[in-house]
Amino acid sequence: MSDFFQQLANGIVLGMLYALIALGYTMVYGIIQLINFAHGEIFMIGAFGSLAVFTLLGSPDHLWVLIPMILGGMVSSVAIAVVMERFAYRPLRHAPRLAPLITAIGVSVFLQESIRLWQGGAAKPYPSLLSGNALSIGGVTVDKTSMLIVFLAAGSMIALDRFVATSRTGRAMRATAQDPDTARLMGIDTDRIIVIAFVLGACLAAVAGVAQGLSTGNIQFNIGFIAGLKAFTAAVLGGIGNIRGAVVGGLLIGIIEVMLTQYFPNGSAWKDVGAFAVLILVLLLRPQGLLGERVADRA
Amino acid sequence: MSETTTRRISSMDTAAPKTWQGRLTGWCQARYGPYAAIITLVGAVVVGVGGVLAWTYDASYAGDLTVAFSPIGGQRWAIGGAVALIVMTLLDGVLQRPLGRFFPLGGVKASLILSVALLLMGVVVAIRASKVLGGLANVNTGLWLVIAGGLVATAGAIGRVEPERPALKAPKPLPAWLDFIIIAVTIGLGLVVAVKALDSSDEVTFMCILFVVGGIAAALQFSGLLPRISAITASHYGVTIAASFIAAIIFPFTQGTNGAYLSIAVNVAIFAAAAIGLNIVVGLAGLLDLGYIAFTGVGAYYAALFSGAASSRFAGHHQPFLAVLVGGAVVAAIFGLIIGAPTLRLRGDYLAIVTLGFGEIFRITVNNLNGQSGPNITGGAQGIYGVPDLDVFGVNFGKNQTIFGTQLSYFANYYFAALILIAFVMFIFIRANSSRIGRAWVAIREDETAASAMGVNTFKLKLLAFAMGAFLAGLAGTIQAHSLSSVTPDSYVFLNSSFLLSAVVLGGMGTVMGPLLGAVLLLVIPEKLRFFQEWRLWLFGLALILMMRFRPEGLIASRRRALEFHEAEDDDAEAPLSGGLGAPPGAGHGGVL
Repeated sequence: MSDFFQQLANGIVLGMLYALIALGYTMVYGIIQLINFAHGEIFMIGAFGSLAVFTLLGSPDHLWVLIPMILGGMVSSVAIAVVMERFAYRPLRHAPRLAPLITAIGVSVFLQESIRLWQGGAAKPYPSLLSGNALSIGGVTVDKTSMLIVFLAAGSMIALDRFVATSRTGRAMRATAQDPDTARLMGIDTDRIIVIAFVLGACLAAVAGVAQGLSTGNIQFNIGFIAGLKAFTAAVLGGIGNIRGAVVGGLLIGIIEVMLTQYFPNGSAWKDVGAFAVLILVLLLRPQGLLGERVADRA
Repeated sequence: MSETTTRRISSMDTAAPKTWQGRLTGWCQARYGPYAAIITLVGAVVVGVGGVLAWTYDASYAGDLTVAFSPIGGQRWAIGGAVALIVMTLLDGVLQRPLGRFFPLGGVKASLILSVALLLMGVVVAIRASKVLGGLANVNTGLWLVIAGGLVATAGAIGRVEPERPALKAPKPLPAWLDFIIIAVTIGLGLVVAVKALDSSDEVTFMCILFVVGGIAAALQFSGLLPRISAITASHYGVTIAASFIAAIIFPFTQGTNGAYLSIAVNVAIFAAAAIGLNIVVGLAGLLDLGYIAFTGVGAYYAALFSGAASSRFAGHHQPFLAVLVGGAVVAAIFGLIIGAPTLRLRGDYLAIVTLGFGEIFRITVNNLNGQSGPNITGGAQGIYGVPDLDVFGVNFGKNQTIFGTQLSYFANYYFAALILIAFVMFIFIRANSSRIGRAWVAIREDETAASAMGVNTFKLKLLAFAMGAFLAGLAGTIQAHSLSSVTPDSYVFLNSSFLLSAVVLGGMGTVMGPLLGAVLLLVIPEKLRFFQEWRLWLFGLALILMMRFRPEGLIASRRRALEFHEAEDDDAEAPLSGGLGAPPGAGHGGVL
């Protein structure tokens, strides 16, 4: 039984990571109904940005370096996301739906290849700043890195939730998501709100990038592809456009993946299939997602 | 035209141009407008002189480009480009009388685009030469002159003022035999250029052909000649397609027993067939299918499993080729139904992500069915190899065959099979497009709610498009398995799906010729320019973004599609004209045209 709880704990840690990425999908989707395929790449760039800062600081072996690393990851992710929004998506705001989707694919391939050409195709080692176990209860152990990831992720999520729920900008975001035209009539600069959604998503993705690096010990140009797909699945599972739904969906996808790996024969070879099977099942059975009140036909 | 509209139109013309292009043109026109044409001519002559002189100091690169006054390969194409530029520039001058009626839109934009193409050609060749030979010091006067000439010509062309042109009249219809000759000459020229480009011995020649031919094609488009030829080909659609196929059939006879280019051509043809199939899904029905390559994979694996390959689990169940062909396609279509049924009830974007997921599931699954992670069916990462050559109607595809007294490489067999495949896919595409189904697809694509309100069964028709696409992909896959003689999971990764999508988007969504052109460009260019391989995907990602931004209808535009994509811009442009001041409705529009 302790084995099960151990896997559950691992699943929650992994799920936190997916949830962080899923939030970016869900926010952008909620406001402009665009599946930003390139969001996985924003996550990957966050990881590379933080690694660049780490190298730039002379690879110090100290925990506090994490703060500049996260900031560096955020700056690179946000910069790319803002440029992407401004030059690739915004000109297509009134184009037929297919156009921005194809652009998103283009941006995704472009960013992935840019990093591959610049950093090479091989995996790059990522520093593991923490070692050892943080706590151990009844046979369930959680190492310090995982603990840090959970705290970082939970902190970011609570901050985001509060920001959207209480701040003036957050209210403008919700208004824009509900009805962009009316929001504009009420004096909301919707272009600005869309940029803010991209920026917030990129910040969270950068945190996820750092977490991914810390937990797996290496990063590669293509980590954004599969992680992005699973995070999108998480967003759909929770109800796309719904911020809390993305968190719930992320956790569920993480737990499902870990359980599949553990209890399914040859699970580790099949784990990626599991997430997509879940996606297809959700669309079949409950397309509005677990928490989504909105009917999926806006998609 | 009412007086108010006239006034407002003219005030729009004189208003300060807001875009950077407008400002740049205005600035240049103010500085040297009257001399702009002469500056362009000087630039063109300099490019021509550059083509005659030596391009490098080192004879080891791209043949021998060090000899002045004996232009070879790319240098000849540069001279040709310069001559074309001179002609384009003089179109609004001395050549107006003899040639003007062939180029109703004049040569101002055309000369600009050709100048830019020549400039880019010089720059790219110089970069490559300096990379290969180690440093810009190896670049000789001729190449510098090409770049300088390109710069001067571009600067000149920017400053040219578009002269007043008489309103475009519908061209007089030509007699049918003349139309046929025009079509034949156009396609013949295409074949000659394609063979020349393939035969080019070095990368400089190929790059020069690419830039000069691309530049001239764009120039002909902007000067109005190409649109007229397109109109002629469009009015004799069947003849054009038949002529294209004749040209495609002639191609192997230019190659003889040399299979090097034919093997590329086989890949291109199968890829093109899949791209046209994808265009039914994306271009006609407007469904973004990002796992299309997986359906090809289904067909390919089916063919590999049931064609008696020794490494196949089902080596004993050897089926005849036609059964494999139909079987692979039907199984792919069934997969299409399984994927499509749950997702197509929802709208748009979900399909994209689910097909993407399906593509990954397919790849992972065939990778895992290796006897360790799962039952041994597909041979895992090694795939299935040794798929035997086709043997249909007593023709062994693995042997060189003699047709009309010419011995052809055995790749020609696969090439012809792929051509038949393309013909079949095209047939389905054209017939579906011009039928009730095609019109329903357009309705769904443009506004699903409205279509559904008009009584279109949107779900069934979307599912039909999706399954049809999967069927055609499966067909292409079965032939691919035989021509490559092996299938591996690596051939069916997501990047290949996005590659197919690039071919469709680049060539033109909703057209039958577009994906063909896209496939040729996407596969032949990296094949001829090895250094390009590394940058291939990067550039295609960029190309997707830029195409969607600036020419979403693709290189070969479907008229309906072009209107659709530029709808929003037209609305913006019309707004100041048709709004307010009591102008009669539609007066603004009439005034502009």
